[in-house]
Amino acid sequence: MKIEELLVNETNIELFLLGNEAIARGALEAGVMAATTYPGTPSSEVGDVLSGISRKAGMYFEFSTNEKVAFEVAYASAISGLRSFVFMKHVGLNVASDPFMSSAYTGIKAGLVVMTADDPSMFSSQNEQDNRHYGELAHVPVVEPSNPQEAKDFLIKAFEISELERIPVLFRTTTRVSHMREAVKLGPVKKELFASFFEPDSGRYMTLPSSAYGNKEKLIEKMKRLSPVSDKSDMNRIERYGTGEIGFITSGAAYNSLMDVINMRKLDATVLKLGFTYPFPENLVADFMKQHSKIIIVEELDPILEARTRMVAQIKKIDSEIYGKLDGYFSMSHEYSPDTVEKSLSEILGFNITQHYANVMIEEPAPRPPVLCPGCPHRATFYAVKRAVRMLNLKNVIYSSDIGCYSLGTYEPFNEGDLIISMGSSIGAASGFASATSQPIIAFIGDSTFFHAGIPALINAVHNGEKMLIVVMDNRTTAMTGRQPNPGMPVKASGELATEISIEKIARAIGVEHISNVDPYDLASTLQGITAGLKYHGVSIVIAKRECAILRDQKMRKEKKWITYNVDQEKCGKCMNCVENFSCPAISLQDGGIVINPNLCDGCGVCAQVYVCPFRAIEVANNAK
Amino acid sequence: MQNNIIITGVGGQGVITAGTLISDAAIAKGLKTVMSEIHGLAQRGGSVSVDVRLGNAYGPIIPEGEADALIAFEPMEALRNLKRVGKKTIIIVSTEKLPPISLGIRRMEYPDINEMMENMAENFTIYPVDAKKLAMEAGNYRALNVVLVGVAISTGVLPLNVDDIIRALERRFSGKLMDINMKALQLGIQAIVPGHVETH
Ligand code: SF4
Ligand code: SF4
Repeated sequence: MKIEELLVNETNIELFLLGNEAIARGALEAGVMAATTYPGTPSSEVGDVLSGISRKAGMYFEFSTNEKVAFEVAYASAISGLRSFVFMKHVGLNVASDPFMSSAYTGIKAGLVVMTADDPSMFSSQNEQDNRHYGELAHVPVVEPSNPQEAKDFLIKAFEISELERIPVLFRTTTRVSHMREAVKLGPVKKELFASFFEPDSGRYMTLPSSAYGNKEKLIEKMKRLSPVSDKSDMNRIERYGTGEIGFITSGAAYNSLMDVINMRKLDATVLKLGFTYPFPENLVADFMKQHSKIIIVEELDPILEARTRMVAQIKKIDSEIYGKLDGYFSMSHEYSPDTVEKSLSEILGFNITQHYANVMIEEPAPRPPVLCPGCPHRATFYAVKRAVRMLNLKNVIYSSDIGCYSLGTYEPFNEGDLIISMGSSIGAASGFASATSQPIIAFIGDSTFFHAGIPALINAVHNGEKMLIVVMDNRTTAMTGRQPNPGMPVKASGELATEISIEKIARAIGVEHISNVDPYDLASTLQGITAGLKYHGVSIVIAKRECAILRDQKMRKEKKWITYNVDQEKCGKCMNCVENFSCPAISLQDGGIVINPNLCDGCGVCAQVYVCPFRAIEVANNAK
Repeated sequence: MQNNIIITGVGGQGVITAGTLISDAAIAKGLKTVMSEIHGLAQRGGSVSVDVRLGNAYGPIIPEGEADALIAFEPMEALRNLKRVGKKTIIIVSTEKLPPISLGIRRMEYPDINEMMENMAENFTIYPVDAKKLAMEAGNYRALNVVLVGVAISTGVLPLNVDDIIRALERRFSGKLMDINMKALQLGIQAIVPGHVETH
């Protein structure tokens, strides 16, 4: 699908959309005028689509420096009268949580929807926090779609709720919703030109204690008024299968797996499928419980619906049996597949599961963990760092890593990653190690992560006079989430020109004196820069600057300058250094010799340098294509 | 009716595109279709798999043992997914070896491919295909995924025919790329069932 197709203003067509693409379409149908984000999987494609179509759609869109800034930009737009949408991955909301919490107190003017994309099973995240808790914590409504169609439709309803009580709404997806594809029926695109104008509204938005005091009460009132709205919302619906005997309460992606099991096993079930989950539809749930002696709650991660259901039962003195996580039937970890749901239900309902899979004993093949791409500049940097550390005979080096493709440096053969705790933490933690230990410290941070949260940590390190080497892995993009622009690039999300922010100038202004700029594809100078940096007493920075291999690929293919390398078997000394210690995925050992797969080789030429191949056996293949 | 297909391979091989191609064709035919796309940490080079579910499925995750077909773009990735398949699952596997770096780091070589195929054949219906050769013959290595979709069509395991796939290709490609993909599809279809294939 071409993303422009999402702009069509026809309502009787269906497109095969990823959840995140459906959400981007939902933003158009909701009449969103301003959208902001910091890219993070599983939310990234929403931004990829909006950056491609926002100009044509007459919407303001930006990739902000971080989630907090993204939130603030969207919030200001919403209190100026524009429907605004801010989206991020679940941990991003931690970064944005400061303004998010208080925005509930001030309220907003035009709709503000905050999307959090949670990641049960942690396909691409450091934790699987259940961000539905933020609804309760902040006293804001929570909406949970189960599939792409709902994702689009519920987003529009989320804006309606937001404007009904002038309150931000938390819109919660998970990986399996954001990354599920199905045919989505389109609705009309809303084209209203809002006049945006900010009115201070007698200090409503000043969260000084004097106004916050009263705002809290108003917030609680708003949520109280939304409770009956949730009871009656068509996002909460009841479905009946067979005799409908067993009562199920479910939401989000867990609904899909539950339905697959109900279908497969032909269960007699009535399903209360919740989409507007906070304020909790207490009366709806109470009535539902009264009709079923057995209630089973199927939700992923934390027992949020379950705890509220049990509360309702206690307050309204309903004595249905309730089954869920709190009594140990369902797991509090990881996503629910049809198999996990079936297993828990077999214990509650007492049926047997016949094993479906073949269960053939075949040896597990060698692992294929995520790797840096062929031609990735980070591989060269990690290789050079390892060599420099060995040359200087440094012991007990602490590798403080960060979030981005370079986090893969933690895997073999480099093993250069001892901790990653949050965005920008490489430098903050390095400060802590520098004061707590006397070990050598190397921090790795990408360009986008440096802008996101690295700068305050750098100020801290310089101010306190710590000693560390910071390697800025500047690959000219936000690579891991799919190559979104960042402030270090001279373009905006929309493709328009932007002011390029220099990492070097920032570091100099902060007071870093020892800075070297190197091109990782040039191993000699990279090695030199890193060695010098490691010897320096104080904060030293090596900026390893070279565009992400995928960006370079695209350029080389367009310019028809694509080359590949191969191995001259006569010259190859079979030292195995290239496969053992450099480990580009294009190079492998076959029939006792080293071969380069021309379909994978990216032509970076790093393996051809004497530091990787001491026999100079790797050369440009003449079969350039 | 329900038809479940696991497509697996190495990031960068066009696994996801193969999934959308089959899905596009199925939707055009009026089949309810859901597909899951999980992006791991790596942009290229890691294991990837896609579940495609045609018919009356709700969620995008194929239950254990319920796959009708496993289309593997790489032999090791076929093995890795055997724990998810059932006795009835038909396995189509491209025989091109892509050794993971974990082997080279240990100075190890890729396991014997014939042995791998024989082991699998003992328990499953498998169709090994030299999809790389056919894709290059069609004009581009990147047409590997279309070759394998062609093979799947020819086994009859998908509720789709050649024309459904051709129409899905037409919505996506034109000119020279379309020619390459058409050729790749034809070569895939002929790869295991020699001779003429009916189109409707
Ligand atoms: S996407 Fe770019 S930065 Fe990330 S591993 Fe690949 S080449 Fe390296
Ligand atoms: S030139 Fe060498 S290091 Fe670079 S991509 Fe090709 S094989 Fe890998």
